[in-house]
This record gives sequence, C-alpha cells and structure tokens, in this order.
Amino acid sequence: MTDNTISPESAEAEEFFMDPLPGQERFVAPVDETPLKAVDSVDESEPATSMWTSAWIALRKNPLFIFAAILIVFIIIVALFPQLFTHNDPTYCNLDNSLGKASGSHPLGFDQQGCDVYSRVIYGARTSVSVGVLTTIIVVAVGGFIGAIAGFFGGWIDSLLSRITDVFFAIPLLLGAIVLLQMFRTSDSIWKVVFALALFGWVQVARITRGSVMEAKNLEFNTASTALGSTPMRNLFRHVLPNALAPVIVVATTSLGTYIVSEATLSFLGVGLPSTTVSWGGDISTAQSLLRINPSVLFYPSAALAITVLAFIMMGDAVKDALDPKSRTE
Amino acid sequence: MSNETNKQVQQAAQEPLLEVKDLSVQFTTDKGHPITAVSDSSFTVYPGQWVAIVGESGSGKSTSAMAVLGLLPGTGKVVGGSIKLHGEELVGKSSKDYEKIRGVQMGLVPQDPMSNLNPVWRIGTQVKEALKANNMDVSREKRSSLSKALSDAEVKLKTRDDELFIGSQERPELLAAAKAALQKAGVASVDEKMATFEETWVTGSQTRWLVAQDLIKAGVPDDDAWAVAKAHVTGSNMDDRIAGLLAEAGLPDAATRARQYPHEFSGGMRQRALIAIGLASRPDLLIADEPTSALDVTVQKKILDHLHTLTDSLGTAVLFITHDLGLAAERAQHLVVMYQGRVVESGPSLEVLQHPQHPYTKRLVNAAPSLASQRIISAKERGVDAESLMEHHTKGEETLEHSEHIITVDHLTKEFKLPRKREMFKAVDDVSFSVKRGTTLAIVGESGSGKSTVANMVLHLLDPTSGKVTFEGRDISTFKSKDLLAFRRRVQPVFQNPYGSLDPMYSIYRSIEEPLRIHGIGDRKSRVKRVRELLDMVELPESVMGRYPNELSGGQRQRIAIARAMALNPDVIIADEAVSALDVLVQDEVLRLLNDLQAESGLSYLFITHDLAVVRQIADEVVVMQHGRLVEHATTDEVFDHPKRQYTKDLLDAIPGGKLQLGLDS
Amino acid sequence: MGKYLLRRILQMIPVVIGTTLLIYALVFALPGDPVAAMFGDKPVNAAVAAQIRSEYNLDKPFIIQYLIFLKNALTLDFGNTFAGQPVIAVIGRAFPVTIKLAIMAFVFEAVFGVVFGIISGLKKGKWYDSVILIVSLLLISVPTFVTGFVLQYFLGVKWGLLPVTAGSNPGFIDLLMPASVLGSVSMAYIIRLTRTEVSSNISEDYVRTARAKGMSNKSVTLRHVLRNSMIPVVTYLGADIGALMGGAMITERIFNINGIGNTLYQGIIRGEGTLVVSIVTILVLVFVVCNLVVDMFYAVLDPRIRYV
Repeated sequence: MTDNTISPESAEAEEFFMDPLPGQERFVAPVDETPLKAVDSVDESEPATSMWTSAWIALRKNPLFIFAAILIVFIIIVALFPQLFTHNDPTYCNLDNSLGKASGSHPLGFDQQGCDVYSRVIYGARTSVSVGVLTTIIVVAVGGFIGAIAGFFGGWIDSLLSRITDVFFAIPLLLGAIVLLQMFRTSDSIWKVVFALALFGWVQVARITRGSVMEAKNLEFNTASTALGSTPMRNLFRHVLPNALAPVIVVATTSLGTYIVSEATLSFLGVGLPSTTVSWGGDISTAQSLLRINPSVLFYPSAALAITVLAFIMMGDAVKDALDPKSRTE
Repeated sequence: MSNETNKQVQQAAQEPLLEVKDLSVQFTTDKGHPITAVSDSSFTVYPGQWVAIVGESGSGKSTSAMAVLGLLPGTGKVVGGSIKLHGEELVGKSSKDYEKIRGVQMGLVPQDPMSNLNPVWRIGTQVKEALKANNMDVSREKRSSLSKALSDAEVKLKTRDDELFIGSQERPELLAAAKAALQKAGVASVDEKMATFEETWVTGSQTRWLVAQDLIKAGVPDDDAWAVAKAHVTGSNMDDRIAGLLAEAGLPDAATRARQYPHEFSGGMRQRALIAIGLASRPDLLIADEPTSALDVTVQKKILDHLHTLTDSLGTAVLFITHDLGLAAERAQHLVVMYQGRVVESGPSLEVLQHPQHPYTKRLVNAAPSLASQRIISAKERGVDAESLMEHHTKGEETLEHSEHIITVDHLTKEFKLPRKREMFKAVDDVSFSVKRGTTLAIVGESGSGKSTVANMVLHLLDPTSGKVTFEGRDISTFKSKDLLAFRRRVQPVFQNPYGSLDPMYSIYRSIEEPLRIHGIGDRKSRVKRVRELLDMVELPESVMGRYPNELSGGQRQRIAIARAMALNPDVIIADEAVSALDVLVQDEVLRLLNDLQAESGLSYLFITHDLAVVRQIADEVVVMQHGRLVEHATTDEVFDHPKRQYTKDLLDAIPGGKLQLGLDS
Repeated sequence: MGKYLLRRILQMIPVVIGTTLLIYALVFALPGDPVAAMFGDKPVNAAVAAQIRSEYNLDKPFIIQYLIFLKNALTLDFGNTFAGQPVIAVIGRAFPVTIKLAIMAFVFEAVFGVVFGIISGLKKGKWYDSVILIVSLLLISVPTFVTGFVLQYFLGVKWGLLPVTAGSNPGFIDLLMPASVLGSVSMAYIIRLTRTEVSSNISEDYVRTARAKGMSNKSVTLRHVLRNSMIPVVTYLGADIGALMGGAMITERIFNINGIGNTLYQGIIRGEGTLVVSIVTILVLVFVVCNLVVDMFYAVLDPRIRYV
C-alpha cells in the first residue's frame, strides 16, 4: 500500500505543498456565517400535502380554472333546471312569429318556424351536457378498462387489445358515428348519439390509460409492494391505477368538450338528434339558411355551444397544468 | 519533478485565468420571491490548474459554474460580485458577447451523459458544431481562421507550419515515408517504432511538429525528419479533425463512431464524446460539472485519468465540480468547499483534507466513504486500532464460519432473451454464496454485473433459470401462497431509488403500514402505534406520518423505506443500492442506522452496491461480481488487504482518493 | 430501415381488414333493411327486392358478402350506385376536389400552426403568446361549422372578400375560405403542441451543452430546439390527414363543394350502403397509408426509432 500514498518528501507531492498562489490562500469562513444544519432534517415549514391536495391548491389559484368552473356550474344548472331561466316552451312554435323581433318575454326573438330562440338556447343545454357527460362516462369506463388491462398484463392480451384499438383508431370519430347513426335516423333518444360517440371515442382513452398504466406499473414501488407480499391484483388497484389516473382525468375533461362539439356536428348534419329534440346543433342546422337574412338566429345557439365547449376545454387545460408531472418534479 | 515546479513558477508568474469575487446568484420562484442559491462566493483558477468545488446537492456548486458560463437556468441571475476571465469582466455581458467567449475560452463537460447529447444528431455532427461555431480552422491546431487571421496575420504566418494535423488521406504515405526514413537512417527495430507511430499518429490530432519530433527521437536525422513531416503532414479536413478530437478523448475507432448516434453509445462513450466537444475549440478553461458521477467507478477513473493527461498536455485549466471530496482532493490542486450557497473553506487540496477547519468540512471528511476506508488503511499501517474508526464492527472469520446460513445461493443462473437475438444473455452465471445470520454480505459489481438480478432472485421476484436459493434450508421456489407470504414477511427489500420505491399517492403512514395490512397484523390502533415505533427507530419525527414522499428528501425517504422493511420484524434485509443515490453525509447516516439496527436486532443483510468504499463501512463478507460471474468471495478485510483477482484490484484502485494520505487528527 | 418498413406494412394489413369489416358490419349487418332504405318509404315489389338482394349479394351470409366486397374492392370494383353509375366513377369525380381542399387545409394548418406555435413557445409569457393561446383555445372550442358560418358571414356576405360558396369546379380562391375553416381546429392543436414542445425542449440539457459550445442563439434554436420539437408535430400532422378527410364532410356541406365528403353525406342520407362503405374504405386506406408515411418520416427525423 505504500506505493499508493504520497509522502510529503516525494516529488509528486511537491505541487501540493507549494506556497499558495494569490487568490488561493487558505480560507475558512466564519462558522456563524453558515451555521451547520442537522444533516437531512425534515422541512416542516409547509403543511403536509398529498398530490391531490397540492393539485387542488394549484387549481384554486388558477384564474383559468375559476373562470371555467363558474361557467360549468352555471351551464349544469341551466341543463338541470331550464325552467328557472325561461317560462316559454321551446317546442311551442307559431309560424305567425316567424323571425319575429325580440321582445320582453322573448329576449332573443323568434326563428323561422316561430319558436322562441331564447328558450330553445336554454333547453338545448340539457341535450349537449347530457351527451357530453354520458359519453365521457362510458368512454372512460370502457376505454379505461381495456387500456388498463392491456397495459397491466401486457403479452398477448396487450397485443390483441392493441390491434383492436388500432382498428377503431383508423376510423375518425365523426365518420364512424355518422355511418352508425344513419341506421337509426328515426330514433330520438340521445342514447344513440352517446353510443355512437362512445363506440369510436373509447380508443383515445384506452391508449392513454394503457401508456399511463404501463408507466406506473414499471415504477419501483410496485416491485417493493410485491416483495412485501402484495398480489398483482392488489398492486393494480392500490398502486397502479391511482398513479395512472391523472392523464386520464385530463383527457376525459377535454374530451367532454369534444363530444359536445361532435353531437352538435352530428345534429347539424342531420344524422344526430331529430328536430323534435331541442339541441343547439339542430337549431344551427335549421338556421343556416338564414345566414344572409337573419344571422342572429344562427348566432345565439352557436355562441351557447362555443361557450360550453370552451368551458370544458379550459377546465381540461387547468387540470392538466395542476396535474402536470413536470411541474411536480423536485 | 522539474516540469511540475516549472508549472508552478509559470502559474505564479501568470495572472489568474478565472477570478470569481463575491458572486451571488438568485432565482425567482413562481410567486416572485427571490431565492439565493449562491452568496458572496469567491474562488480563483490559474491557467493549467485543476480547481475543485466540492459540496452536497443544493450547495450552489453547479450554479456557480453555470454562472461563470453565463448559462444559468430559468430565472437564475447574477445579482452581485464579479466574474473575471483573463481579467475581463463577464458579469453584465450581453448574450451575443457571451457566445464569443463560450467554446473558445470556456468549455463545458456536463454531468449526465445521457441527456447532454442531442439524440437526433450524429456524434460527429455535434462535435462539428463546436468547431464551426468558433470558426476553428480544422487543418490546424488552435487557429480560428477568421478572428485570428484578421487580428494577427503575422502570427498565423509564423506558426502555420507547426500546427498542421495529419490528414486521413496522406496518413498511409506518411507512414510509408517514415518507414523509408527509418530504414535509410539505419535505425534498429524499425517495426517496433512503426508500431508506435501507427498508434500515436492519430489523424486530425497529431501535428506536423510532433511527427517531426517523433522521427527525430527515433533516430532520423533532423533534416530528413522535417522533410518527411513537411511533405506528408499538410493539414486535415473536417472529418479527420472530428475523428481526431474523439480519439483524443479516448474513443476507439473514432472515424466510424463519429457517424453514429448517441443512442448507439454507452454512457462512458458518450462522456468521452462530451469531453471531445468541450475541448474542441481548445478553451483555456474547462468546466467539468460532475463529469463522471453517472458512470461506473472503473470507467470514471479511466476517463478522469485521460482527461487529466489531455488537459495537462493542452495546458487547459479545469474547474472540477464534484460531490466527492476524495475525488476532488485526488484530482485538484486547489479545493473549494461550498455549503448552503457559500464557500466555507478553500485552500490547497491536501491541506484542506488533512486539516479541515470549518465544521462542515470536518463533517464531510469524516463521512466520505472513500476517505473512511482510506483512513482504515492508513490506521492499520500505523498500527492504530482500526476498529475504533469503523461504525461497523466486522465479525472475525471464526464467527463467520460458525454462523448459521440463513440464505444460501446455490449455482444460481439467470438467462434473459435478448430482443431479436437467438442466443440467450446470461445475466447471472453460476453464482453461489451464503449469507450468515446476523452478518452482512455485500455484492459488489458495476452496471451489468448481474448483482441486482441476484437480489431479485433472492427476493423471489424473478425465477432463476437454474440453481436455487434456499432460505433456512428450504428452496424458495417451492414456496406457494402461504409459505411465500411467510417468506416475504421475513425477507424484506430496500430498493435503490428513494424517489421510486414509495408510492407518491400514499402518505408516509400508509406506506409504512402497508406491510402490516398485507399480512393482516394488528388492528388500526396497534398499527398506528407500530408505525410510531418504526419512525422512532429510523430517527424521524412522528409528524411525518401525515406527509407524502414528495415532501421528504432522498435520505428521509430511504429511512421510510427502511422503516417499512422493518415493520414485520424481518430476519433478512436485502438492500439493493440503498444508499447510492444519497449525498455523502446522508449516506453516512443511513449506513450508521443500518449498522445500529443490525447490532440491536441481529438482522442479516444482503447489501448490493457498486461502491466498494461503502462496503468497508458495512460488510463482513464481500462477493465481487463481473459480467454475471462471481469473481471473488472473501471477508471484507481480506478483499481490501489482499485482493486476489485483478478485477478486484482495479475496483479498489478506482476508489477515489486512494493515493491520498490522510491525517488522523480530523 | 427496409425491415422496419416491411414490418409496418405487415402490421397495416390486419388494421385495414378489421376496419373495413367493422364499417361493412355497421352498414349491412345492423337491423334495418337496406333494400327498404333504397326505396325510401315506398312499398317494394317482392320480386324486384329479391333481384336487388342477389345483385348486391344481400341474400348470402354476412361474412360471404364481406369477402366478396373485399375481393371486388381489390380490383377497385365497388359496384354501382342506386342511380346505376359505377361507384368508382363517382368517387373518381369527387376525389380531386377533396384532395385539393385537404392539401390546402393541410398546408394552412401546418404553416400557421408551426409558425405561431414556435413564436409562442420561444416567447412564453409575452403578450402575443397570450393572444395566440386565446385564439387557439377559441378555435378548438368553436365547432367548425360555426367558424364556417362566421367566416361566410363576414368575409363573404358582409365584406365580400371571398366567395361565400365554392360551386361545382372550385379554384384556389374559391377554396381559400373552406380550407382555412377545415384546417382551423387542427391548426389550433398544432399551435398548442408546438408551443409545449418548444418550451420544454429549450430547457433540455443538450440545448445548454450546445450553448456551451459557443453556438449562436439562432443556430441553437434552429438545430436543437426546433429540430427536436418537430418530431411529435410531424406525427400529429400525418395522423391529421385522415381527420381532414372526415372533416371535409362538414366543410364541403357548408360551402357546397362537390367533393368526397358531400358525396358520402348524400350517400348516407339516401341510405346507399355500397357507396358509404366504399368511400369510408378509401378514407380509411388514405388514413392508414398516411400513418405509414408518417412513421417513415418519423424514423428519418428520430434516429432512435430506426432500430427498434
């Protein structure tokens, strides 16, 4: 071991024992300038926060979230209790009122069929919100389930499910929905639209859930749990799914807006809900011929639709910012 | 050595290259609050000198270096002090002016080789960028054709002949001419000399002057030597120069490698490419920010040795940022210790190391595992009782021999199928050893040695291809549900990554309680009590129970992981790189905790690590693994004092600070 | 690279078969009588119905029908429309217009999406970043047909800058408005994607290393930030071609363009199963092929992919 050490006399050591150069003299800072902290003490300056709590704190401070939340709450109230906002029957139409001007109890005037535009806009909220919410629920349930199974088990199950996903992915949402819906053109149930959208919409959620589950599955805490005696199923439900949830929530919120747009588009194309159901898409479709004559009839349902979708998309953005793993890194 | 002294004299005569005075750096939080990362820090670097800044994570060492480069991330800003390079003030320079300084005057070798090369460009292209950005004339050494030609045409003319590189096209002719010249001069052992030339005359790196000198040294008359050099060394092109730079950095087969992409390189090769980039424009100062911390120890040593030789021959000064005090003292002449954004101590390396003054430095010197094992060695040499220096009291060979085997690994082999390859990859190849009750066995190896695979097989997380693991005499592969659960209860893991092994969604209480729940132990009340005890055992306050992993430091999380492992009163703990990700001081504390727990409850440890220095502080026995095979198996003292195999010697040799002599007064 | 291409093409085959089968099943195997649909609500002579059934192979088991369709489709024989024209001829007439429209929309969304995205990403937090963000948020929220009407009303009706509808054989000017409407939503998504990518790539380690080399800000941005940011954007753009074809249905209807979308729409309204299946099959093929091309492009842009 002697050859491993440098004695002060050896030549190699010379440079270490030279007089220091200017600016490199021995320096020791006064101890009170940087008092020693206990090694690795727990920082208790902030209250304990879980990931969800801190996401919520971040959300609460985000003006985008506040704005979107107020809008969404308002829209949901309108959808649930339209009678609070209007006493007019949206389906009562009188051709005598065709394109009538706005008046006290009809603040937005009448459309070509003589229906009250304001009450139709109010009642249209229910259709849009129901389709959006129901489709999202189904899509998250189905897509989430398939994606989670594929991602967690991998192997041939994943291969099979991924090929199925590919098939559905190759058909654009609207195109698929139109083809399906043309078979049920006479039905006026909103469920047909919900199912059509869900059938071609689950793929996106499945893909995201699959990726997110695969990522969560490979995290070390799962191995740790297994080594503690946990079973794969327990791991899936206790560790993997809770950790894979964030991106799914984000995509679900944003998709809700997309489904509302899709429903309106389908109704606009005449394959969605029939004119007997009050819906913004349908009203826009009927009003499009009035573009040159009376654009305001076209404007109101369009604006209502746009604001609703905007609210959900903004909510999706706000949630994404709050749950973004990048902003949570050390 | 006279050239060393010359160097000193030279340095003394010269002005400082880099002078940092009272530097303060602030960041702004999202809410707009300033956070001071560096305050009133001063240090000086002389030309050709290695200066090291040492500190733990968050000490401000990297921030100081980035401030010098003018590359502070995000909201970082220099708020006070001065940074002078060649006497020129850098603070307040515009980003345009900084661009002119970076590359030519200051280069960077960054920390993480995986993320610092752009994955979409070829390695050669990324070296080329460095040359092009600084208008380097690739046929000559240290000539930026535009700037120098404009400012100093005379100098260019005078030295142009000296600094030309060998080009790839002319190299065969050059070698042929050299051989002819050697034969003409009647030199003995021509082939031997030619072999040396083949090796040292690297395209795009070796200059005309050096070629001539080599020939003269070999016995060729001056005139002939110069004639050969002048005729056949006429400058390289871009590709030659890139290959030359990569070869200088120690990359074999550089010309081919230059056409590859980063993902085709190993970590060590990437680091070499980054060194080539950092030195491409021949900067006066190279900032090396933990350049090897992501690499295996033996690779680390090779790369640093190479960097040292290279910067010495180029006369480049190096500002070396590291968390490893042993490494810093071994490599640098001058040491700067930073703590909480301030320089707490600085001075000549060995002096700081032998006589640390500031309490933080003292703490650091005491904790550094490389120095600790070094201290034991020097204590033994002086005949001082080394046991008193160790927290872990190793059991003698006799005790080990008489101890009962709790875990036995018998001819264990694990093969993996490689994607799209026929043959199987043997991750673990016929490994046998046993862990004795109440003792610690360490498995040491570098990445790819199969050590973690062994751990996973012992934990029954992976099934062996052949061979078996027995626990108290029973083959664990026969364990089914109930037995397996019982086995899991008694053999617990602590994993490497303190960020990954705790579920971020679980509160600390839930994390520690999880094993109790899984095994259905106690009711809620007794579990709360048990969690409290466990937290106390790992020296954490009860108040962390409601907290979440992201609120704790790496060391604290590792304590939680240990508490979780201890929850079921296991007999064996398998610690897979459990302290590798931690700062030295924290590492030291966790090791002490593990040692205390063993002393109190007679635990057996299987301790997996890449760091031989740590082994000395914890293990009774050592198994050294390389490429899936067991290389050496002996008691810790035996391995350290009389290593039998070359690989073990290499590993020991690579422990930083191995050549330092330490005072025992610390 | 060749192996990779081959593998991707082989993977494509089950997707095409699965997709066409799915669409075929939706149109022909669901409850509802295609023959009745053909005649609207008018009563149908049983003999005529039987003849039509055999002509369209509707009397055979479903899977046989599908296989016959698939076999014919391989020779581009998609049968006839109700009006007696070969489906392929109808498609052939309508396709060029839609392709023109889709290419214009594609160029529009790619150019403006990437440019605004880069500006926004490089200058995060500046006022024009906020403006770009708000506009893209609005474009995503407002349904295409509403955007279409708004543009029609202002640009066409009110200010008379551009033709309100495109007409039968539309030229570049006629398609300007429809194309920008068609590309608007995707443009907004591209802006957001590019912005995120650019702003996250700026803080990559290799960008810092590039700066440390002494490279100018301009070349660092170009060679390291933008080059890397384009990888996901190109993927998105490629996958979007299929969506543009689908979206053409709405745009073509608003602007009265006789393209594939409008033909498909008419087919759906009239219940012409053969026509619908044929067009959707072709659209799916376009989509799948575009994805393949994108994958190739992806491999060129990202060397890591090539060897996977």
